[in-house]
Amino acid sequence: MTQSSRDLSRRRLLLGGAALGAGTLLTACTSNEAEPNDAQIKTGGSEAAGGNAAPGTEVVIGFSAPAADHGWLGAIITNANAKAQAQAYPDVELKAVESGSDAATQRAALATLLGQKPNVIVLLPHDGKELNAFGLEAMAAGIPVVNLDRAFPSARAYRTQILGDNYGMGVAAADYVIAQMKAKGVAAPIIGEIAGMDELELTQTRSKGFTDTLAAAGFEVANRRAARFTVDSGQQEASQLLQALPRMDALWNHDDDQGVGVLAALSQAGRKEMIMVGGAGSKKAIESIQADDSPLKATVTYSPSMASSAISLARLIGQGRGLGDLVELQVPKEIVLASETVTKDNASAYLKLGF
Amino acid sequence: MTADVVLRLTDLVKTFPGVRALDGVQLEVRAGEVHCLLGQNGAGKSTLIKVLAGVHRPDEGVVEWLGEPVAFANPQAAMKAGIATIYQELDLVEDLTVAENVFLGHEPRRAGFVRRGHAAARTREILGRLGHGEIPPRRPVHKLQAAAKQIVSMARALSHDARLLIMDEPSAVLAHDEVANLFRIIRELTAQGIAVVYISHRLEEIRTIGDRVTVLKDGRTTAAGLPAAQTPTAELVSRMTGRTIEYVFPPRPPEKTGQKELLRVVNLSRGGEFSGVSLTVAAGEIVGIAGLVGSGRSELLETVYGARRPDAGTVTVDGRRLTPGSVGAAVRAGLGMAPEERKSQALLLGEPIYRNVTLSTFTRLARFGFTSARRERESAGRVTRSLDLRPADVDRRVRTLSGGNQQKVVVGRWLLGGTRLLILDEPTRGVDVGARAELYRVIRDLAADGVGVLLVSSEVPEVLGLADRVLVMREGRLVRTAAAGELDEDTVLDLVMAGSLMEGAPA
Amino acid sequence: MTATAVKSDVRRRWAGENSENTTRNLVLLGVLAALIAIGAITRPQLYSDSTWVWNNVLSILQLASVIGVVTVGMTFVIIGGGIDLSVGAIVALAGVWATTVATQSFGAGGMIFTAVAVGLGVGLVNGLLIAYGKLVPFIATLAMLVAARGLAAQISGKQTQISESAVINGIASTKILGIPLLVYILAVVAAAGWVLLNRTTFGRRTVAVGGNAEAARLAGIDIKRHTMLLYGLSGLCCGLAAIMLTSQATSAQAAMANLYELDAIAAAIIGGTLLSGGRGTIVGSLLGVIIFATITNLFAINGLSTEAQNMVKGGIIIAAVLVQQFRFDAVTRLLGRIRN
Repeated sequence: MTQSSRDLSRRRLLLGGAALGAGTLLTACTSNEAEPNDAQIKTGGSEAAGGNAAPGTEVVIGFSAPAADHGWLGAIITNANAKAQAQAYPDVELKAVESGSDAATQRAALATLLGQKPNVIVLLPHDGKELNAFGLEAMAAGIPVVNLDRAFPSARAYRTQILGDNYGMGVAAADYVIAQMKAKGVAAPIIGEIAGMDELELTQTRSKGFTDTLAAAGFEVANRRAARFTVDSGQQEASQLLQALPRMDALWNHDDDQGVGVLAALSQAGRKEMIMVGGAGSKKAIESIQADDSPLKATVTYSPSMASSAISLARLIGQGRGLGDLVELQVPKEIVLASETVTKDNASAYLKLGF
Repeated sequence: MTADVVLRLTDLVKTFPGVRALDGVQLEVRAGEVHCLLGQNGAGKSTLIKVLAGVHRPDEGVVEWLGEPVAFANPQAAMKAGIATIYQELDLVEDLTVAENVFLGHEPRRAGFVRRGHAAARTREILGRLGHGEIPPRRPVHKLQAAAKQIVSMARALSHDARLLIMDEPSAVLAHDEVANLFRIIRELTAQGIAVVYISHRLEEIRTIGDRVTVLKDGRTTAAGLPAAQTPTAELVSRMTGRTIEYVFPPRPPEKTGQKELLRVVNLSRGGEFSGVSLTVAAGEIVGIAGLVGSGRSELLETVYGARRPDAGTVTVDGRRLTPGSVGAAVRAGLGMAPEERKSQALLLGEPIYRNVTLSTFTRLARFGFTSARRERESAGRVTRSLDLRPADVDRRVRTLSGGNQQKVVVGRWLLGGTRLLILDEPTRGVDVGARAELYRVIRDLAADGVGVLLVSSEVPEVLGLADRVLVMREGRLVRTAAAGELDEDTVLDLVMAGSLMEGAPA
Repeated sequence: MTATAVKSDVRRRWAGENSENTTRNLVLLGVLAALIAIGAITRPQLYSDSTWVWNNVLSILQLASVIGVVTVGMTFVIIGGGIDLSVGAIVALAGVWATTVATQSFGAGGMIFTAVAVGLGVGLVNGLLIAYGKLVPFIATLAMLVAARGLAAQISGKQTQISESAVINGIASTKILGIPLLVYILAVVAAAGWVLLNRTTFGRRTVAVGGNAEAARLAGIDIKRHTMLLYGLSGLCCGLAAIMLTSQATSAQAAMANLYELDAIAAAIIGGTLLSGGRGTIVGSLLGVIIFATITNLFAINGLSTEAQNMVKGGIIIAAVLVQQFRFDAVTRLLGRIRN
């Protein structure tokens, strides 16, 4: 690659970087300076402490995520693609394979990827359990695996995993609901829940965090419907939930994308007596919270920028380097991104994060 | 002779809701004989076969097999006991090979694995016994001709070491020379002591192959064990019908001359099927084509009608050329067709009679795209009355009609549309004797009204008796055209089979 | 005609296909009544409020409205001897296409036109491939399912597209005489479908082509053209459904209308449509859709899981097919016996 094209691509990243922005904040275990995130490159901070941004040996990173037709996954793909295209790191080559709509197709795509012998593989598995065997196989073949978002049950199946905090989302949503109910003086609130795709473990974990936390406060979920992360399923399930609960005090919807449909159902039924909490943190939802024009009063985040961080981690692993600010010589085994609660008060800060 | 009796039925009764299908049937079949079963459609032949084959169980009466009273629980039991049935609609699995069909359900096995080689060898042996060693045991059945399929069916029956073979209208799907071969095989089987129950509508066949005849009418045996060769036709027919008719053609009208030419076919060809065919049909004229199955006759009719696209040649009606390969254009020009396979090519079996009759005219009977059930029922009613269709109820579903009445529905369809040229492919196939005569009358009446008719039949007497002019077709070419009066059956048969009359041909 | 003749005439007609359809529809109504009764028994406190009951009925009908419109089109295709696996994908594509920034700039009229045109267009492409390209319907529409969802994902950039049109969004929240507009739309589409199937030459051709394509062809019916139109009709229904769904969700995305093909086929089969073609009723299909919606509603008001709901739906589909086969066999056997 010539110097000028590298500059060009870097400049492209500067422009695109605004959208990603603080997305690479590794709130769980690291600080701004420690992470070679886009913001740093943008500010020319490549010589910051730790020097992670300094070019190292060439690393070929394989990337696989399920076919995306939904907002959050779409954001992940876009993120990864942005990374690849912008080539923030001159020493990284990204080989991305899109991996269909089920575990079997993804396994097939991964077999191909493995044949290309990348230095590190970043993998968003369709299902962590189903692809655990692949993680073991790749690790045994000496290719470190960075698991993105959906944990493998076996610790030997990955070098590092970077996860959102699904349980924490439920906890954060419940905490907000509890606080609001207490503030309003509702002793026995009727609480509804619109979950995401019920066959995914992450949905179960989110719901568990929600119910556990509510139970600690003596509350419970009165009715729960599972949608499919799509707008129309959100509308449909919400319309039925509203039928089942003629009065509702609080509603947690796991996913802001399907939340568009949930809000539509609320308005079609003329129901606005409850407070609603979203999930994931879409741009539209955060805007709506800021404008305070609907029952949606808060949303609990599930970082869409973790793919970027995963690539950064993969690069460091490939180069055998640790996180700059940490004393350890290698990248940590696990990074969990905390779920944060976005309300009217802090919405403006999160707006640029939303997908 | 009692010792020779393999099967004896006494006072057999089988009822279905609302119908007494068998109402006292007596039948006695001896080893090594061909026992013919005669009766009109609906006389109970099919039910009787199904009782023997173990499909149905009789309500009353006794079935004695090899001297023991038996009750077959299912078809497998009957087959195991040595009774094999070859149905009119062959029940072969089209995608399996010949050998797989022959041994279907009783494959020779070792340790759970089918011994394919062994099955093929035994199939070859059985086919050889049937005089058809040339049929490859490993060929998929769908690649075989109808006649070969029937041989496979018989091979399957023999693979069970059958002692009684029931054949339901085996000649219906066969051409003339193939029938001769069938008869040769039947004679060989009976020589080995196997009994055959043979069902056919064709009296001439019964005379040729049969030893004794049992006649059924309305579920009852009206005559048992008559000698097949000697019993006068009049007696057989009267036992079946109470009437005395067979191949009764209406009197030929005086020859018409100067009729306007309606259809002209010039040099029509279609690869591998027929070539260079030219013919004409005038208004009010009946033109008959005689030819074997596979001579290209059905393909020719379908091409004239636009259901197939010709490679070369033209079809003109009233001097106007028809769009090749367009049925719609042919119908608009006044053509109509009653195809060979009524059920699969012409009828909506689950729909009422009137909707079948108006299938090609409901658009014309409709107003602004809205159909009129009233107008359709009226129109269909007129046609069914003029054709003496029974039952006359136009709301009845076609599935419930007999073959002859179903054919009337198909023909009636074209009477409604003001059709000027009617194409009939095997118009009397599967139609019983009584209904045949009525169909002949209908066809003649149509011609008298000025409709041109182009028909194909496997039965030479039918072509000769019905047509004004006869075309003989062989291997895709017209080999002779003559007025019906100038030809006789022997001449036509000779032409059809290229001058080589085969041995043992039925007279 | 004498009185007895009239009576026997009536009895005979009732003994035929009409009575078969009527019986089936009465059975379906019975199932529906049973489902509602179960709801009333399990949630008496909800059912004691008549306003709630009325709203619940409307909610069920609203739930049935979009898939109902799709099912009307599907019923025609199946009666005509085909199958359309691409309906969900067409709904998604039409919805996404109608909600692009460019389309939305033309206003609600432009969006409706786009959805209907896209639906009709894709349906006609299906029909062309099947009728003139001689592809098997299953394969052609399966390919279209994949392709249309892909195109929808491409157009939307895998993002949710929010509808900014107050008119479009208003369709789902509009009520006339207390009944949602979406329910009227379903009623009009179903009524039009009924007339089209039972009273027009188009419907007659559909039954003929599906019942015996060769017989229809030899009777002079242009079966290719008709087959193409059938898929066009299905696509048209999908376009209409896309607008309804977009209005309900106030947005569209490539993943929406998930598995509508299965829901529509299942509803048609439950309603008595013969998968092999030639027979089926609009009323039956509609009842099938409403039964499914009622099951969803029943499970929702009882707070039961979606898994159980799907298992029950699957069980009902199997039961319906078994009943259909049993009946068909029984009828065939009976007729066979009578003939002999």
